[in-house]
Amino acid sequence: MIAGKKLVVLGCWLLSFAALGREVIPAMPAQYFNDYAHVVPQATVAQLNTKLEDFERTTGNQVVVAIYPKMRSDSSIDDYAVRVFRAWKVGEKDKNNGAVLFVFVDDRKMFIEVGYGLEGALPDATCKQITEFEIKPHFKTGDYGGGLTAGVNAILAATQHEYKGTGTTVYASHAGHNQNWSTIIFVVIFVGVMLLQFLFRGVSRRHGWLYSGGGWGGYSGGGFSSGSSSGFMGGGGSTGGGGAGSSW
Amino acid sequence: MKKIAIGCGVLVVLGLILLALVAIGGYNKLVRLGQQTDSAWAQVQTDYQRRMDLIPNLVATVSGAADFEKSTLTQITEARASVGKVNFDGKASLSDPAQLAAFDQAQSQLSSALSRLLVVVERYPDLKSSANFLELQAQLEGTENRIAVARRDFNDAVQKYDTAIKSFPAVWYAAAMGFHEKPYFNAAPGAETAPKVQFDFNKAAATPAKP
Repeated sequence: MIAGKKLVVLGCWLLSFAALGREVIPAMPAQYFNDYAHVVPQATVAQLNTKLEDFERTTGNQVVVAIYPKMRSDSSIDDYAVRVFRAWKVGEKDKNNGAVLFVFVDDRKMFIEVGYGLEGALPDATCKQITEFEIKPHFKTGDYGGGLTAGVNAILAATQHEYKGTGTTVYASHAGHNQNWSTIIFVVIFVGVMLLQFLFRGVSRRHGWLYSGGGWGGYSGGGFSSGSSSGFMGGGGSTGGGGAGSSW
Repeated sequence: MKKIAIGCGVLVVLGLILLALVAIGGYNKLVRLGQQTDSAWAQVQTDYQRRMDLIPNLVATVSGAADFEKSTLTQITEARASVGKVNFDGKASLSDPAQLAAFDQAQSQLSSALSRLLVVVERYPDLKSSANFLELQAQLEGTENRIAVARRDFNDAVQKYDTAIKSFPAVWYAAAMGFHEKPYFNAAPGAETAPKVQFDFNKAAATPAKP
Protein backbone atom coordinates (compact mmCIF):
# COMPACT_ATOMS: atom_id res chain seq x y z
CA MET A 1 0.00 0.00 0.00
CA ILE A 2 2.78 2.40 0.92
CA ALA A 3 4.59 1.68 -2.33
CA GLY A 4 1.35 2.23 -4.26
CA LYS A 5 0.74 5.50 -2.48
CA LYS A 6 4.23 6.65 -3.28
CA LEU A 7 3.75 5.76 -6.91
CA VAL A 8 0.54 7.78 -7.10
CA VAL A 9 2.24 10.71 -5.47
CA LEU A 10 5.15 10.41 -7.87
CA GLY A 11 2.70 10.29 -10.76
CA CYS A 12 0.91 13.42 -9.56
CA TRP A 13 4.20 15.11 -9.07
CA LEU A 14 5.43 14.24 -12.55
CA LEU A 15 2.13 15.34 -14.09
CA SER A 16 2.16 18.67 -12.33
CA PHE A 17 5.79 19.08 -13.23
CA ALA A 18 5.07 18.55 -16.90
CA ALA A 19 2.04 20.85 -16.91
CA LEU A 20 3.29 23.75 -14.86
CA GLY A 21 7.00 23.86 -15.25
CA ARG A 22 8.69 24.38 -11.95
CA GLU A 23 5.82 23.79 -9.60
CA VAL A 24 6.11 20.96 -7.11
CA ILE A 25 3.03 19.47 -5.47
CA PRO A 26 4.23 17.96 -2.19
CA ALA A 27 3.38 14.38 -1.30
CA MET A 28 0.27 13.73 0.76
CA PRO A 29 1.38 14.22 4.36
CA ALA A 30 1.48 11.21 6.66
CA GLN A 31 0.12 13.07 9.67
CA TYR A 32 -2.44 15.76 10.46
CA PHE A 33 0.10 18.22 11.76
CA ASN A 34 3.20 18.29 9.58
CA ASP A 35 6.08 20.58 10.40
CA TYR A 36 8.50 20.16 7.51
CA ALA A 37 10.15 23.47 8.38
CA HIS A 38 10.95 22.43 11.99
CA VAL A 39 9.72 25.60 13.62
CA VAL A 40 7.25 24.12 16.12
CA PRO A 41 8.30 22.42 19.40
CA GLN A 42 7.93 18.61 19.31
CA ALA A 43 5.47 18.54 22.19
CA THR A 44 3.15 21.00 20.44
CA VAL A 45 3.36 19.00 17.20
CA ALA A 46 2.35 15.81 18.97
CA GLN A 47 -0.42 17.47 20.94
CA LEU A 48 -2.00 19.21 17.92
CA ASN A 49 -1.65 16.10 15.79
CA THR A 50 -3.59 14.03 18.32
CA LYS A 51 -6.18 16.76 18.58
CA LEU A 52 -6.72 16.86 14.81
CA GLU A 53 -6.91 13.08 14.56
CA ASP A 54 -9.51 12.97 17.34
CA PHE A 55 -11.36 15.71 15.52
CA GLU A 56 -11.72 13.52 12.42
CA ARG A 57 -13.01 10.67 14.60
CA THR A 58 -15.65 12.79 16.27
CA THR A 59 -16.71 15.13 13.44
CA GLY A 60 -15.46 13.47 10.26
CA ASN A 61 -13.81 16.75 9.26
CA GLN A 62 -10.26 16.41 8.03
CA VAL A 63 -8.22 19.39 9.15
CA VAL A 64 -4.56 19.28 8.17
CA VAL A 65 -1.68 21.64 8.95
CA ALA A 66 1.31 21.65 6.60
CA ILE A 67 4.31 23.84 7.31
CA TYR A 68 6.95 24.07 4.61
CA PRO A 69 10.09 26.17 4.43
CA LYS A 70 9.27 27.49 0.95
CA MET A 71 6.50 27.45 -1.61
CA ARG A 72 7.74 25.55 -4.64
CA SER A 73 5.67 27.28 -7.26
CA ASP A 74 5.55 30.52 -9.22
CA SER A 75 1.79 30.80 -8.77
CA SER A 76 0.04 32.79 -6.10
CA ILE A 77 -0.52 30.99 -2.81
CA ASP A 78 -4.31 30.68 -3.25
CA ASP A 79 -3.84 29.07 -6.67
CA TYR A 80 -1.19 26.70 -5.43
CA ALA A 81 -3.22 25.78 -2.34
CA VAL A 82 -6.11 24.63 -4.55
CA ARG A 83 -3.89 22.30 -6.54
CA VAL A 84 -2.17 20.83 -3.49
CA PHE A 85 -5.49 20.37 -1.68
CA ARG A 86 -6.97 18.58 -4.68
CA ALA A 87 -3.92 16.36 -5.01
CA TRP A 88 -4.25 15.32 -1.36
CA LYS A 89 -8.06 14.96 -1.58
CA VAL A 90 -8.62 16.23 1.94
CA GLY A 91 -12.10 15.62 3.33
CA GLU A 92 -14.63 12.88 2.75
CA LYS A 93 -15.64 12.28 -0.85
CA ASP A 94 -19.35 12.97 -0.47
CA LYS A 95 -18.98 15.81 2.05
CA ASN A 96 -15.81 17.58 0.94
CA ASN A 97 -15.34 18.46 4.61
CA GLY A 98 -11.64 19.19 4.61
CA ALA A 99 -9.49 22.20 5.39
CA VAL A 100 -5.74 22.69 5.13
CA LEU A 101 -3.71 25.38 6.80
CA PHE A 102 -0.64 25.95 4.65
CA VAL A 103 2.33 27.84 6.10
CA PHE A 104 5.40 28.78 4.09
CA VAL A 105 7.85 30.05 6.65
CA ASP A 106 10.50 31.67 4.43
CA ASP A 107 7.86 33.26 2.20
CA ARG A 108 6.11 34.53 5.35
CA LYS A 109 2.79 33.49 3.89
CA MET A 110 -0.07 31.30 5.09
CA PHE A 111 -3.39 30.25 3.65
CA ILE A 112 -6.40 28.30 4.90
CA GLU A 113 -7.79 26.33 1.98
CA VAL A 114 -11.35 25.18 2.62
CA GLY A 115 -13.19 22.29 0.96
CA TYR A 116 -16.64 22.84 -0.55
CA GLY A 117 -18.36 21.24 2.42
CA LEU A 118 -16.85 23.53 5.06
CA GLU A 119 -17.35 26.80 3.22
CA GLY A 120 -20.45 27.45 5.30
CA ALA A 121 -18.67 26.99 8.63
CA LEU A 122 -15.42 28.58 7.49
CA PRO A 123 -16.30 31.42 5.13
CA ASP A 124 -13.47 33.49 3.68
CA ALA A 125 -14.00 36.29 6.17
CA THR A 126 -13.62 33.86 9.10
CA CYS A 127 -10.47 32.39 7.58
CA LYS A 128 -9.08 35.88 7.16
CA GLN A 129 -9.86 36.68 10.78
CA ILE A 130 -8.13 33.50 11.93
CA THR A 131 -4.96 34.07 9.93
CA GLU A 132 -4.91 37.81 10.54
CA PHE A 133 -5.84 38.04 14.21
CA GLU A 134 -5.29 34.59 15.74
CA ILE A 135 -2.13 33.39 14.03
CA LYS A 136 -0.29 36.38 12.62
CA PRO A 137 0.41 38.22 15.91
CA HIS A 138 2.19 35.09 17.21
CA PHE A 139 4.09 34.52 13.97
CA LYS A 140 5.36 38.10 14.03
CA THR A 141 7.15 37.40 17.30
CA GLY A 142 8.46 34.07 15.98
CA ASP A 143 6.12 32.03 18.17
CA TYR A 144 5.01 29.45 15.60
CA GLY A 145 3.81 26.95 18.18
CA GLY A 146 1.55 29.51 19.84
CA GLY A 147 0.21 30.83 16.54
CA LEU A 148 -0.62 27.40 15.20
CA THR A 149 -2.23 26.30 18.47
CA ALA A 150 -4.46 29.37 18.36
CA GLY A 151 -5.16 28.87 14.65
CA VAL A 152 -6.00 25.17 14.96
CA ASN A 153 -8.28 25.86 17.93
CA ALA A 154 -10.10 28.56 15.98
CA ILE A 155 -10.57 26.32 12.93
CA LEU A 156 -11.85 23.44 15.05
CA ALA A 157 -14.18 25.72 16.98
CA ALA A 158 -15.68 27.03 13.73
CA THR A 159 -16.21 23.63 12.12
CA GLN A 160 -17.02 21.30 15.02
CA HIS A 161 -20.81 21.30 14.63
CA GLU A 162 -20.93 20.90 10.86
CA TYR A 163 -20.89 17.11 10.51
CA LYS A 164 -20.94 13.99 12.64
CA GLY A 165 -18.00 11.63 12.66
CA THR A 166 -17.98 7.86 12.43
CA GLY A 167 -15.58 7.26 15.29
CA THR A 168 -12.81 6.32 12.92
CA THR A 169 -10.53 7.95 10.37
CA VAL A 170 -10.13 7.47 6.64
CA TYR A 171 -6.63 6.15 7.29
CA ALA A 172 -7.78 3.55 9.81
CA SER A 173 -10.73 2.33 7.76
CA HIS A 174 -8.72 2.34 4.55
CA ALA A 175 -6.32 -0.29 5.82
CA GLY A 176 -9.28 -2.61 6.38
CA HIS A 177 -10.86 -1.82 3.02
CA ASN A 178 -7.70 -2.56 1.15
CA GLN A 179 -7.57 -5.96 2.73
CA ASN A 180 -11.14 -6.57 1.64
CA TRP A 181 -10.27 -5.51 -1.87
CA SER A 182 -7.31 -7.82 -2.12
CA THR A 183 -9.57 -10.64 -0.93
CA ILE A 184 -12.17 -9.79 -3.57
CA ILE A 185 -9.56 -9.58 -6.31
CA PHE A 186 -8.13 -12.89 -5.20
CA VAL A 187 -11.54 -14.55 -5.30
CA VAL A 188 -12.33 -13.04 -8.72
CA ILE A 189 -9.04 -14.26 -10.19
CA PHE A 190 -9.51 -17.68 -8.62
CA VAL A 191 -13.06 -18.08 -9.91
CA GLY A 192 -11.98 -16.74 -13.34
CA VAL A 193 -9.22 -19.31 -13.59
CA MET A 194 -11.59 -22.10 -12.59
CA LEU A 195 -14.11 -20.98 -15.22
CA LEU A 196 -11.48 -20.77 -17.92
CA GLN A 197 -10.30 -24.24 -17.09
CA PHE A 198 -13.84 -25.51 -17.25
CA LEU A 199 -14.45 -23.85 -20.65
CA PHE A 200 -11.21 -24.96 -22.21
CA ARG A 201 -11.36 -28.49 -20.91
CA GLY A 202 -13.11 -29.69 -24.07
CA VAL A 203 -10.69 -27.98 -26.46
CA SER A 204 -7.43 -28.89 -24.86
CA ARG A 205 -6.47 -31.70 -22.54
CA ARG A 206 -3.21 -29.99 -21.69
CA HIS A 207 -4.23 -27.42 -19.12
CA GLY A 208 -1.08 -27.29 -17.05
CA TRP A 209 -0.33 -23.66 -17.91
CA LEU A 210 -3.61 -22.46 -16.53
CA TYR A 211 -2.80 -23.73 -13.09
CA SER A 212 0.13 -21.38 -12.78
CA GLY A 213 -2.31 -18.48 -12.41
CA GLY A 214 -3.70 -19.97 -9.23
CA GLY A 215 -0.80 -18.81 -7.12
CA TRP A 216 -1.37 -15.12 -7.82
CA GLY A 217 -3.54 -13.80 -5.04
CA GLY A 218 -0.95 -15.08 -2.66
CA TYR A 219 -2.29 -13.01 0.22
CA SER A 220 0.85 -10.93 0.24
CA GLY A 221 -1.39 -7.95 0.88
CA GLY A 222 -2.34 -9.15 4.32
CA GLY A 223 0.57 -7.63 6.17
CA PHE A 224 0.23 -3.96 5.35
CA SER A 225 -2.20 -3.03 8.06
CA SER A 226 0.03 -4.43 10.74
CA GLY A 227 1.39 -0.94 11.61
CA SER A 228 -0.49 1.45 13.85
CA SER A 229 -3.78 2.76 12.49
CA SER A 230 -2.66 6.27 13.25
CA GLY A 231 -1.98 8.67 10.44
CA PHE A 232 -3.62 10.89 7.88
CA MET A 233 -5.08 9.90 4.54
CA GLY A 234 -7.23 12.04 2.25
CA GLY A 235 -10.80 10.81 1.85
CA GLY A 236 -11.47 12.03 -1.70
CA GLY A 237 -12.61 15.58 -0.92
CA SER A 238 -12.20 18.60 -3.17
CA THR A 239 -12.14 22.37 -3.01
CA GLY A 240 -13.29 25.19 -5.23
CA GLY A 241 -10.88 27.85 -4.03
CA GLY A 242 -12.54 28.84 -0.77
CA GLY A 243 -10.54 30.25 2.11
CA ALA A 244 -8.21 33.13 2.81
CA GLY A 245 -4.70 33.81 3.97
CA SER A 246 -2.30 36.40 5.31
CA SER A 247 1.29 37.45 5.08
CA TRP A 248 3.31 38.39 8.12
CA MET B 1 -14.64 -30.87 -35.30
CA LYS B 2 -18.15 -30.01 -34.23
CA LYS B 3 -16.90 -28.78 -30.89
CA ILE B 4 -14.51 -26.32 -32.58
CA ALA B 5 -17.36 -24.96 -34.76
CA ILE B 6 -19.48 -24.34 -31.65
CA GLY B 7 -16.50 -22.68 -30.02
CA CYS B 8 -16.09 -20.33 -32.99
CA GLY B 9 -19.79 -19.45 -32.91
CA VAL B 10 -19.57 -18.61 -29.23
CA LEU B 11 -16.53 -16.42 -29.89
CA VAL B 12 -18.35 -14.48 -32.64
CA VAL B 13 -21.35 -13.85 -30.39
CA LEU B 14 -19.04 -12.77 -27.58
CA GLY B 15 -17.28 -10.42 -30.02
CA LEU B 16 -20.58 -8.81 -31.04
CA ILE B 17 -21.61 -8.36 -27.43
CA LEU B 18 -18.25 -6.79 -26.72
CA LEU B 19 -18.68 -4.40 -29.67
CA ALA B 20 -22.13 -3.36 -28.46
CA LEU B 21 -20.75 -2.80 -24.97
CA VAL B 22 -17.98 -0.62 -26.37
CA ALA B 23 -20.49 1.44 -28.37
CA ILE B 24 -22.76 1.93 -25.36
CA GLY B 25 -19.75 2.76 -23.22
CA GLY B 26 -18.61 5.34 -25.77
CA TYR B 27 -22.01 6.99 -25.85
CA ASN B 28 -22.29 7.01 -22.08
CA LYS B 29 -18.86 8.53 -21.83
CA LEU B 30 -19.92 11.42 -24.07
CA VAL B 31 -23.06 11.94 -21.99
CA ARG B 32 -21.02 11.93 -18.80
CA LEU B 33 -18.44 14.37 -20.17
CA GLY B 34 -21.22 16.61 -21.48
CA GLN B 35 -22.83 16.70 -18.07
CA GLN B 36 -19.53 17.45 -16.44
CA THR B 37 -19.19 20.54 -18.62
CA ASP B 38 -22.72 21.57 -17.60
CA SER B 39 -22.00 21.21 -13.91
CA ALA B 40 -18.65 22.99 -14.28
CA TRP B 41 -20.54 25.76 -16.02
CA ALA B 42 -23.09 25.93 -13.23
CA GLN B 43 -20.22 26.42 -10.78
CA VAL B 44 -18.83 29.26 -12.92
CA GLN B 45 -22.21 30.97 -12.85
CA THR B 46 -22.63 30.44 -9.11
CA ASP B 47 -19.30 32.09 -8.47
CA TYR B 48 -20.00 35.04 -10.75
CA GLN B 49 -23.40 35.43 -9.11
CA ARG B 50 -21.74 35.42 -5.73
CA ARG B 51 -19.64 38.33 -6.84
CA MET B 52 -22.69 40.17 -8.18
CA ASP B 53 -24.32 39.76 -4.77
CA LEU B 54 -21.31 41.16 -2.95
CA ILE B 55 -21.20 44.37 -4.94
CA PRO B 56 -24.14 46.31 -3.41
CA ASN B 57 -22.66 45.73 0.03
CA LEU B 58 -19.21 46.76 -1.14
CA VAL B 59 -20.48 49.90 -2.80
CA ALA B 60 -22.50 50.82 0.28
CA THR B 61 -19.50 50.37 2.58
CA VAL B 62 -17.15 52.32 0.36
CA SER B 63 -19.51 55.16 -0.46
CA GLY B 64 -20.01 55.65 3.27
CA ALA B 65 -16.41 56.86 3.48
CA ALA B 66 -16.25 60.61 3.28
CA ASP B 67 -15.37 62.13 -0.10
CA PHE B 68 -14.76 58.77 -1.75
CA GLU B 69 -14.18 59.08 -5.50
CA LYS B 70 -17.59 58.73 -7.01
CA SER B 71 -16.35 57.90 -10.52
CA THR B 72 -14.92 54.53 -9.44
CA LEU B 73 -18.20 53.55 -7.83
CA THR B 74 -20.16 54.63 -10.88
CA GLN B 75 -17.98 52.44 -13.06
CA ILE B 76 -18.70 49.44 -10.87
CA THR B 77 -22.41 50.03 -10.81
CA GLU B 78 -22.44 50.43 -14.58
CA ALA B 79 -20.34 47.34 -15.16
CA ARG B 80 -22.61 45.34 -12.89
CA ALA B 81 -25.65 46.58 -14.78
CA SER B 82 -24.11 45.62 -18.12
CA VAL B 83 -23.45 42.09 -16.84
CA GLY B 84 -27.14 41.89 -16.05
CA LYS B 85 -27.98 42.96 -19.58
CA VAL B 86 -26.04 40.18 -21.26
CA ASN B 87 -28.72 37.76 -22.29
CA PHE B 88 -27.16 34.50 -21.35
CA ASP B 89 -29.28 31.52 -20.64
CA GLY B 90 -27.01 28.65 -19.74
CA LYS B 91 -27.17 25.56 -21.89
CA ALA B 92 -28.46 26.92 -25.19
CA SER B 93 -25.90 29.71 -25.27
CA LEU B 94 -23.07 27.48 -24.13
CA SER B 95 -22.60 26.10 -27.63
CA ASP B 96 -22.36 29.60 -29.09
CA PRO B 97 -18.82 31.03 -28.87
CA ALA B 98 -20.04 34.60 -29.56
CA GLN B 99 -22.43 34.54 -26.59
CA LEU B 100 -19.81 33.09 -24.28
CA ALA B 101 -17.41 35.82 -25.42
CA ALA B 102 -20.03 38.52 -24.72
CA PHE B 103 -20.65 37.11 -21.24
CA ASP B 104 -16.92 36.94 -20.60
CA GLN B 105 -16.45 40.51 -21.86
CA ALA B 106 -19.07 41.90 -19.49
CA GLN B 107 -17.70 39.96 -16.51
CA SER B 108 -14.14 41.06 -17.18
CA GLN B 109 -15.22 44.71 -17.28
CA LEU B 110 -16.69 44.22 -13.85
CA SER B 111 -13.47 42.51 -12.72
CA SER B 112 -11.32 45.42 -13.78
CA ALA B 113 -13.71 47.97 -12.26
CA LEU B 114 -13.48 46.06 -8.96
CA SER B 115 -9.72 45.86 -8.99
CA ARG B 116 -9.57 49.61 -9.73
CA LEU B 117 -11.74 50.21 -6.70
CA LEU B 118 -9.40 48.23 -4.51
CA VAL B 119 -6.45 50.25 -5.76
CA VAL B 120 -8.29 53.48 -5.00
CA VAL B 121 -9.18 52.29 -1.50
CA GLU B 122 -5.45 52.18 -0.72
CA ARG B 123 -5.63 55.97 -0.50
CA TYR B 124 -8.22 55.82 2.30
CA PRO B 125 -6.47 54.34 5.35
CA ASP B 126 -9.52 54.63 7.64
CA LEU B 127 -11.75 52.81 5.20
CA LYS B 128 -9.08 50.26 4.40
CA SER B 129 -8.68 49.26 8.05
CA SER B 130 -12.37 49.23 8.96
CA ALA B 131 -13.63 45.83 10.07
CA ASN B 132 -16.48 45.95 7.61
CA PHE B 133 -14.20 46.55 4.67
CA LEU B 134 -11.70 43.89 5.76
CA GLU B 135 -14.49 41.35 5.75
CA LEU B 136 -15.72 42.43 2.34
CA GLN B 137 -12.20 42.34 1.00
CA ALA B 138 -11.74 38.75 2.20
CA GLN B 139 -15.05 37.77 0.62
CA LEU B 140 -14.24 39.48 -2.65
CA GLU B 141 -10.79 37.95 -2.79
CA GLY B 142 -12.21 34.50 -2.07
CA THR B 143 -14.83 34.98 -4.75
CA GLU B 144 -12.23 35.95 -7.31
CA ASN B 145 -10.26 32.83 -6.38
CA ARG B 146 -13.34 30.69 -6.80
CA ILE B 147 -14.09 32.26 -10.16
CA ALA B 148 -10.56 31.53 -11.34
CA VAL B 149 -10.83 27.91 -10.15
CA ALA B 150 -14.28 27.42 -11.66
CA ARG B 151 -13.22 28.85 -15.00
CA ARG B 152 -10.22 26.56 -15.12
CA ASP B 153 -12.35 23.55 -14.17
CA PHE B 154 -14.85 24.51 -16.86
CA ASN B 155 -12.12 24.78 -19.49
CA ASP B 156 -10.72 21.41 -18.43
CA ALA B 157 -14.15 19.79 -18.66
CA VAL B 158 -14.82 21.30 -22.09
CA GLN B 159 -11.40 20.27 -23.30
CA LYS B 160 -12.05 16.66 -22.26
CA TYR B 161 -15.47 16.73 -23.89
CA ASP B 162 -14.23 18.30 -27.13
CA THR B 163 -11.34 15.85 -27.32
CA ALA B 164 -13.73 12.95 -26.82
CA ILE B 165 -16.14 13.96 -29.58
CA LYS B 166 -13.28 14.60 -31.98
CA SER B 167 -11.57 11.28 -31.29
CA PHE B 168 -12.02 8.04 -33.14
CA PRO B 169 -14.54 6.38 -33.23
CA ALA B 170 -16.84 8.99 -31.64
CA VAL B 171 -16.05 11.46 -34.42
CA TRP B 172 -18.28 9.36 -36.72
CA TYR B 173 -21.41 9.44 -34.62
CA ALA B 174 -21.06 12.27 -32.10
CA ALA B 175 -22.59 14.98 -34.29
CA ALA B 176 -25.40 12.69 -35.42
CA MET B 177 -26.26 11.99 -31.78
CA GLY B 178 -26.35 15.67 -30.93
CA PHE B 179 -22.92 16.12 -29.38
CA HIS B 180 -21.43 19.36 -30.65
CA GLU B 181 -18.19 21.09 -29.86
CA LYS B 182 -18.36 23.57 -26.97
CA PRO B 183 -16.42 26.82 -26.65
CA TYR B 184 -13.96 27.56 -23.86
CA PHE B 185 -13.07 30.70 -22.02
CA ASN B 186 -10.10 32.45 -23.53
CA ALA B 187 -6.93 31.54 -21.73
CA ALA B 188 -5.89 34.94 -20.43
CA PRO B 189 -8.59 37.58 -20.74
CA GLY B 190 -8.78 40.42 -18.24
CA ALA B 191 -11.04 38.46 -15.92
CA GLU B 192 -8.45 35.84 -15.17
CA THR B 193 -5.44 38.06 -14.60
CA ALA B 194 -6.77 41.44 -13.49
CA PRO B 195 -8.45 40.48 -10.19
CA LYS B 196 -5.35 38.71 -8.89
CA VAL B 197 -4.90 41.55 -6.44
CA GLN B 198 -3.05 40.45 -3.34
CA PHE B 199 -4.60 42.15 -0.36
CA ASP B 200 -1.60 42.58 1.83
CA PHE B 201 -2.61 44.30 4.99
CA ASN B 202 0.83 45.62 5.76
CA LYS B 203 3.04 47.27 3.22
CA ALA B 204 6.19 45.50 4.37
CA ALA B 205 4.88 42.11 3.35
CA ALA B 206 3.77 43.38 -0.06
CA THR B 207 7.26 42.83 -1.40
CA PRO B 208 7.90 39.10 -1.71
CA ALA B 209 10.29 37.64 0.80
CA LYS B 210 13.71 36.85 -0.51
CA PRO B 211 14.45 33.17 -1.08
